[in-house]
Amino acid sequence: MSAIYTTDEYGRPFIIVREQDKKTRKTGIEATKAHIMAAKTVANIVRTSLGPRGLDKILISPDGDITISNDGATIMTQMAIENQIGKLMVELSKSQDDEIGDGTTGIVVLAGALLEQAEELLDRGIHPIRISDGFEQACKIAVAHLDKVSDVIPWSKDDTSDLFKCAKTSLGSKIVNKCHDQFAQIAVDSILAVADLERKDVDFELIKMEGKVGGELADTMLVRGVIIDKDFSHPQMPKEVSDAKIAILTCPFEPPKPKTKHKLDITTVKEFEELQKYELETFEKMVQQVKDCGANIVACQWGFDDEANSLLLQHKLPAIRWVGGPEIELLAIATNGRIVPRFDDLSSEKLGSAGKIREMSFGTTNDNMIVVEDCANSKAVTVFVRGGNKMIVDEAKRSLHDAMCVVRNLILNNHVVYGGAAAEISCSIEVEKAADQVSSIEQYAMRSFARALDAIPMALAENSGLPPIETLSAVKSQQIKQGISSLGIDCMNTGVNDMKQQFVFDPLISKRQQFLVATQMVKMILKIDDVIVHKSDDQQ
Amino acid sequence: MAGRRQQVPMMQPQIIVLKEGTDTSQGVPQLLSNISACLAICDTIRTTLGPRGMDKLIVDSQKRVTVSNDGATIMKLLEVVQPAARTLVDIARAQDAEVGDGTTSVVLLAGELLKEVKEYVEEGVSSQVIIKGFRKAANLAINRIKELAASVDRSDKTEFRSLLEKCAATSMNSKLIGSQKEFFTKMVVDAVMCLDQDELNEDMIGIKKIPGGAMQDSILVDGVAFKKSFSYAGFEQQPKSFDAPKIVCLNVELELKAEKDNAEVRVDKVSEYQAIVDAEWKIIFDKLDSIVATGAKVVLSRLPIGDLATQYFADRNIFCAGRVSKDDLDRVCEATGCRIQSTTTGLTAKHLGLCERFEERQIGGQRFNLFRGCPEAKTCTIILRGGAEQFIDEVERSLHDSIMIVRRAVKNQTVVAGGGAIEMELSRYLRDTARQIEGKQQLIITAVAKALEVIPRQLCENAGFDTTDFITQLRARHAQDPERYKWHGVDIEEEAVSDLFAKFVWEPALVKINAISSAVEAACLILSVDETVTSQQSQDPMASGQPAMPGRGRGRGMPMGR
Repeated sequence: MSAIYTTDEYGRPFIIVREQDKKTRKTGIEATKAHIMAAKTVANIVRTSLGPRGLDKILISPDGDITISNDGATIMTQMAIENQIGKLMVELSKSQDDEIGDGTTGIVVLAGALLEQAEELLDRGIHPIRISDGFEQACKIAVAHLDKVSDVIPWSKDDTSDLFKCAKTSLGSKIVNKCHDQFAQIAVDSILAVADLERKDVDFELIKMEGKVGGELADTMLVRGVIIDKDFSHPQMPKEVSDAKIAILTCPFEPPKPKTKHKLDITTVKEFEELQKYELETFEKMVQQVKDCGANIVACQWGFDDEANSLLLQHKLPAIRWVGGPEIELLAIATNGRIVPRFDDLSSEKLGSAGKIREMSFGTTNDNMIVVEDCANSKAVTVFVRGGNKMIVDEAKRSLHDAMCVVRNLILNNHVVYGGAAAEISCSIEVEKAADQVSSIEQYAMRSFARALDAIPMALAENSGLPPIETLSAVKSQQIKQGISSLGIDCMNTGVNDMKQQFVFDPLISKRQQFLVATQMVKMILKIDDVIVHKSDDQQ
Repeated sequence: MAGRRQQVPMMQPQIIVLKEGTDTSQGVPQLLSNISACLAICDTIRTTLGPRGMDKLIVDSQKRVTVSNDGATIMKLLEVVQPAARTLVDIARAQDAEVGDGTTSVVLLAGELLKEVKEYVEEGVSSQVIIKGFRKAANLAINRIKELAASVDRSDKTEFRSLLEKCAATSMNSKLIGSQKEFFTKMVVDAVMCLDQDELNEDMIGIKKIPGGAMQDSILVDGVAFKKSFSYAGFEQQPKSFDAPKIVCLNVELELKAEKDNAEVRVDKVSEYQAIVDAEWKIIFDKLDSIVATGAKVVLSRLPIGDLATQYFADRNIFCAGRVSKDDLDRVCEATGCRIQSTTTGLTAKHLGLCERFEERQIGGQRFNLFRGCPEAKTCTIILRGGAEQFIDEVERSLHDSIMIVRRAVKNQTVVAGGGAIEMELSRYLRDTARQIEGKQQLIITAVAKALEVIPRQLCENAGFDTTDFITQLRARHAQDPERYKWHGVDIEEEAVSDLFAKFVWEPALVKINAISSAVEAACLILSVDETVTSQQSQDPMASGQPAMPGRGRGRGMPMGR
């Protein structure tokens, strides 16, 4: 250890770097090998969750919270990896999640496979940078080839069948594939509802996901409006309001209070009575103001006390209190209303309108939610997820999010490649072909890149219970012989391995991103030849 | 060392002048041990040099991971405590601040200079003689660079641009972004060119990092871009894109709040309540009204913009963003030509800025505010993408180096060839000149000549070439025909010795001049020290966890060596 530890001319040791004893250092090929080892281990963990027949992982947090997931990024983040290279792999997966939202497992498996191949080349004595150069060349060819094999899928606001198929591919590997069609439809509908098709911009903040334990997955629904996890402020208020005119308030039902510090001295009984009268009058006035502007329901960001509550009931004005900031906003967007900061500003044009507002109750518990439906503006939508237990609801939310991302990506760019690893196999063949024409050492690295691409179909086949090598070689030869690049692994045993016929699509930008980012990450890892780790105190 | 421990007659008790535990080391052994320390530091970073240089991964005590190829960054993170070795850290940082690139070379060169003269120190050559020789050699070398440097005519726009691009590309060679250098050089040169050409303030190039995407997805925005700030309810109802909006930048809090914290109002009658509340509302509405009256469509503020104001603007189709950081706001001002206002009274249309297009857009997982097509744009923003945070950080450092280099090249249009070519030429020149000098200086200058060879040698070593073979070949060529082979260096791509000037491996001459002079300065500094006095560390509670430091007793008692 510690190459920084040095002795001078007379054999006396001296210190150059602070707290040398606490630092560990690895250099040269040893460091690179250790990194590859770590990355491979991480990749192996998520490998089995790839594809429609991939299995889920159970993760228990330090607090005992259980997460069950099939989503690469979720698994990786929850694993709390300590190793630095492992952490890089987590970041890799997260970045795919941020950018594309899907394919988070695939990218990690690819990076792991690339590093595994690099290890062999390192053993042959090839310089790590030559290897990564070769990988980059190969990656360029693969990405160019992706463009060539990609297809444009036509879609319009009325014809969403192809978007639907892509969403289905993404959902294929998730727990929700029991209600495959329904979830895919929800994903497509919700994205189309909020998408700004002209600017090709999708604002995810307008899609709210609300989950509730109970019921079954099939009860999941898309509400073109808002769901608020609150109930009416008074149990005797009507549970349903049709043709609602909603007043959205951010001020409490109470006498106005200055923000400046203030003090009111009450010295006589008369003054006290006056105060009480004043309070009562203000309540009356406020309720009257709301009534006057034509509202028949009130949503308030703050609370109001029982006196106001009963007054509202008397005036037959159902009210919802303590509605949080983001919900108020969504409510305002959905109903085309304006958020009103004080009662004086209330007017009929500032009210939001909704076809129906109702309270929904669940099962035997006293859980209620308020559903605002048939809103004036359908730009804000809520997905209401049901499921047998909390884990399933959470996983269903994540799966839906992934599927929505896929749909969004297609709206941005409607090029697709074929799933079932068809694109990887086709790129592998192409890279292999190109490698033979390269005269330098990079040739080896390029071949290795092609082999690393094969790792994805192999993992898919393995997870689907097919003999991996046999299946892969069969498909590969078929692709070359027939010249069809859409042949892939038939994970679902349908008997057809043309992904075009099976309608298994992946967005082009997702695959492209996987290739590019994984290669860049591998380059970064290969380029490190020196690791200095400052051990923290608890490790000693 | 009079005054420390008096050399009194034998058997007399020593008189201790300094506090017990004070570390003193002195004389030649001290000098030699300082040199060894510097060499150890050089060993750590030598593998990062050149296009085939490797990176270092450093995890600090806070578990932050840094992956870097930048000499200055690595040196800083090493936490060097040895005083002499710290000098090297300082010159790396100085080089970083002054020219931005060449930080690894400067440290290597300083180390190599020390290594070459170590022998002479051991043999008893006075360090003053060595220092004098070093200074002379440095002068000779710098003058030679100035003679050799090729200058590019600035008036020819395309020629000038290609000069800048080549310089930027050379600095990127060794970095992670090396394989994408065409893409990034264009970006870097565009960024520098859009700055004010006289000031060239690099703070006006904003760099924003968004994880996700490949590095090719990075974009250059000809204006300002910053992340969506925290927003209140009502924000989503504001319009998110404008053509040619007027922009106002404020340093005003737009929130309903107590105007003075220490003020208190005494209310006598309940009816007065309403009056006070109304007065408070009026204050904020006055502010908001005066902003709206100017016709501004985008309102930015350094201080928070509360929910009331957010909804007020939403009602009037105005976009607002509060808590915008100072740098971003400054750059918005620079780009759009507005001035930050500290009050809303007297706000008129002339205080507003203008840009061609404003929009809020999704980039990666975040929403960004983009101001494009600014009339006075003397600023731009680079949005970097990449697979992981550490990855983007390293890309940012690499781009920073390139930006600095391009900035230098804009001001100073002379270039030399990189890849060790200029060092070989200087080495040959010094060797030839040294022969005509009598006395010890001859040896020292020859030593400097040899030390300069470290750059091409290390380049070969990192690339895995046969070092001796390359160096001898280079030496021979430069000696045979100095004029013809003057730009010959190590060509990593071709794995051969070739003319690098023709291959466009160019570096600003200033980088080399600065590197040589600071390396020589540092070496001189280290050589002129023959005594270290370290006070014992104060006993802070943190120190108890530190290990006992070995070798602390050296240099006590009789001076050794002579």
